[in-house]
Amino acid sequence: MINGISSLITSSQLANIAQNTTQSVAVETTLKSIGRPGFILIDKDIDADTKQYAAAKEFLYQATCLAVYMALIVPIFKKGGFKLAKNVIFKNTQGFEHFKDVKEYMHYRKLADNPSVKNRISTLNKEILSEGEGKLVKEKYDETLLTELEKKSPDKFDYVKGAVELSNIIGSVLGLAILAPQVSHAFIHPALRFLGLEDKSKKQHAAENKQLNHTV
Amino acid sequence: MSFNELIKRTCKKLGENNKPTYVVMAIAAVKGICRPLFTMMDKTESPETKKYTALREGLTEAIAIPAYWACGEAAGKLANHLYKNAGLAKRAEKNLMFMGVCTAALFVIPGLCSVAIKPIMDYIGIKAPDHENKNRTSAPLQEKPLQQQQLTSPFFNNRQYLSLHNFQNRPYTGLRIGGM
Repeated sequence: MINGISSLITSSQLANIAQNTTQSVAVETTLKSIGRPGFILIDKDIDADTKQYAAAKEFLYQATCLAVYMALIVPIFKKGGFKLAKNVIFKNTQGFEHFKDVKEYMHYRKLADNPSVKNRISTLNKEILSEGEGKLVKEKYDETLLTELEKKSPDKFDYVKGAVELSNIIGSVLGLAILAPQVSHAFIHPALRFLGLEDKSKKQHAAENKQLNHTV
Repeated sequence: MSFNELIKRTCKKLGENNKPTYVVMAIAAVKGICRPLFTMMDKTESPETKKYTALREGLTEAIAIPAYWACGEAAGKLANHLYKNAGLAKRAEKNLMFMGVCTAALFVIPGLCSVAIKPIMDYIGIKAPDHENKNRTSAPLQEKPLQQQQLTSPFFNNRQYLSLHNFQNRPYTGLRIGGM
């Protein structure tokens, strides 16, 4: 038990998730979609109907946020941020000159994080490009990168990683705080009606209320 | 310092250590400003409902920011006490910080909000509007006019207050059949 906890705490995979903005935000949003409705459901001060409605609404809100985030924000800001940093801010310096896109950098970074030089080299000699016909990933790497990977502690090009993370943070903030609430606002009420938790639209209710007031 | 320099320095710092608390705190800060603003701009709600909802949303994010920071930093600090090896301690610090942020999102913030928001709202003097759930199912809506009808229906008080004087000399109001 203690060994399991200890290996989780020192896990390199978890460290990669923790250092990756998109993955950590996705995990955190998933937990929010469980935690917040859960706390609403155990609240004793609210009646059962309201609890069910509020919990479903909160869950749908977080789920929509996650979907919008993964579908729109991650690809746009990850790729766009890298291109902007490479061509405008860093102008092909500080390591940007070695990589064509984010995918290439992430692959290099993953290899560089591996503590064993032997494992790195064997992976490089095995991995084949998904889009090329039998072409090795190694062939895409320039001399500098190959030399770095043969070192005990290779350069991880922190500026490149930082630029990717910064654009991800900006994308996450814009996506989760501004765009996702607007999208979820349009999606939540039809979804709640579909689930049978909300019968009619506000307009219908307003009209109904008005009619009832007249009859009374 | 130019804007480009600032970006470069930020990139360097984030590349070396991208703490999980940075992004969640940034999101909470922007949400704390934008969500109440969007709520206040909603034209379909009444001013009381808007004020109540906006304040509630703002308070939730105001609670979330220090909670994320405290949970993340406190959990991260544990790493140095748990591991003597510098490499393991560094990795454990990142992981524990992430776990702290997750705990904050899953338990601490919802718990704090459910405990703290209502007393704060009561202290400020803002109460939940009665019609907060007016867009819910039609059942409560059908009950409401009936209740109003019962309250406003004419009620004839045909009982006199009993006193020695009216008990002896006055009958109850109206004609009574069969001496009832």
